[in-house]
Amino acid sequence: MNQSNAIKTIRFSGELEIGRKKQIREALQYSNADRAVLVDLSEVTYADSIALTELLRFCVDAERAAIPVVLLVCTPQFARIVQYAGLARAFKTFEDRDAAIAYLLERLQA
Amino acid sequence: MNRRLPVPLVLTLTFLLLIVLSLIAVGLYVRARLAESVADTEQIRAARLLVGDAVRAQIDEETGVRGYAVARDPVLLEPYHRGRANLPRYLQRIRVVTTNLGLREAPPFVTDATKTNRRWLTRVAFPLLLIRKGGHVLELRGKVLVDRFRADMAAVDRALVQRQQAGDARAQRAIVLVYLLALAAVAAIVLAAALFAVQQYGLGVSLEQERAASKRQRRQSAKMRAAYEAEKRVVDTLQRAFAQRDLPELPGLRLSATYVPATEEAKVGGDWYDALPLTHDRVLLAIGDVTGHGFEAAVAMNKARQTLISCALIDPNPGSILQRANAQLVADESPIITAVTGLVDARTCSFWYAAAGHPAPVLLEPGHRARFLDVGSLPLGLAAGTAYLTHRIRSKPGAMLVLYTDGAIEHSRDVVAGESLLLETVESAGQTHDDPASAILDGIFERRHVSDDVAIITVRFLEAAAMPDASALRRSA
Repeated sequence: MNQSNAIKTIRFSGELEIGRKKQIREALQYSNADRAVLVDLSEVTYADSIALTELLRFCVDAERAAIPVVLLVCTPQFARIVQYAGLARAFKTFEDRDAAIAYLLERLQA
Repeated sequence: MNRRLPVPLVLTLTFLLLIVLSLIAVGLYVRARLAESVADTEQIRAARLLVGDAVRAQIDEETGVRGYAVARDPVLLEPYHRGRANLPRYLQRIRVVTTNLGLREAPPFVTDATKTNRRWLTRVAFPLLLIRKGGHVLELRGKVLVDRFRADMAAVDRALVQRQQAGDARAQRAIVLVYLLALAAVAAIVLAAALFAVQQYGLGVSLEQERAASKRQRRQSAKMRAAYEAEKRVVDTLQRAFAQRDLPELPGLRLSATYVPATEEAKVGGDWYDALPLTHDRVLLAIGDVTGHGFEAAVAMNKARQTLISCALIDPNPGSILQRANAQLVADESPIITAVTGLVDARTCSFWYAAAGHPAPVLLEPGHRARFLDVGSLPLGLAAGTAYLTHRIRSKPGAMLVLYTDGAIEHSRDVVAGESLLLETVESAGQTHDDPASAILDGIFERRHVSDDVAIITVRFLEAAAMPDASALRRSA
């Protein structure tokens, strides 16, 4: 099986807020076939506490299920939120997609 | 005001305009046909009179010749001469008129009549005028030729009558067409009026339904508004009840704090701050924010405060406080909570702190720019076993610490810009104000709407000269 096919990418953009809670919750899902998840937040500029909670719960649940999760964070505004929300310390974050995928492949091969 | 006509009215008016234009077009067509028919009728009537005149002229010629042949009286030739003078002219005019009318069958009969008259003249009239007796045979021959002449004229007259009948039929058809179109127009107008009435009725019903729906919506909104206001009153009351009423006064420290609830309905939330004196020179600070808004958030906030204080009484180490509180909150399935706990020591100007998913405290030291302290652990209530690192800052007299909730930096949704503004206002407020917390709040929201809850607490390490008498403080306490 091609390892890169087992990496699920979940992509968001813009501002993540309470009004998009349902959409965010529906998007943040993984299946049995997914062996790793890349959450692409490269175009996200803001997230309120509700959206951050959804993201945090997803990351914690995935790690508990032994599914590696990495976050792709590129905008400085959202990077700052990720930093003080503890996401950056608890989970791997990358600014470069290739580096994120390489990290996940390495985790899968380990 | 630029108002557009309703579509049904536009359609009906367009329909009526088309009917009017159609009536005008058909009217012009009928008018042309009738004018043509009248003109034809005039020419046909003139031609038929000429045909009658021609027959009479031929009969006059014959009567004159026969009278003269019997009596030899020249006076009796007068009809003959009159007829002979007029007949060629009559025949010529009949030819012209029938040609103009397009009666192709008539001119040959006119030609034959002309030739017949000529034959009658040469073979009958002239011999009878010359001979004195024995003209009986000639008269018989003349009668045959005159009968032929009359038959030719009768054929021309039939052609003219047929033409007249055809013209009358065309005019009749045009008139019938006008009647039919008028009937169709009346029917169409009645139909359009009926359709318009039905549409107007439908619009009226729809408008009535919209009014009823709007009324229901207003009632619903009023109910929701009342429910919201009731909840907001409860939340505000709870927050006021939970709020730190009097900040502790410790030698070597000056505290200030402020709290502003959200003005937007959906964002009345669970921000709080606490300042708990542990000894005469140590105070425990806590500031936090419960995820979510409304009554549940306010209740969860109170529970989180009690949990943090309980944990601080067991072990005042900020990291330990958060760790114990997190275990309790995860077990209670509490909402997610962000918080910073800090232990301030006035004697050594030290600040121990730990953060749980909360924006970074700001430190302003004399002679330096304001800066953010290091943070970055997960919020409380999310994952059991989360480690919370205790950081220690050794500062100096005159320095000021600022703890705040996310409403102070996320007002524009650009956190980087929000943090820059916060640093600027902290530097400004830290220099001059006795109540820096309120000054920071005013500086940030001078030109902005406070959409989310905001709590700010500051603590300043006092210079020795500015310290109140510790023993006096203890006595007053």
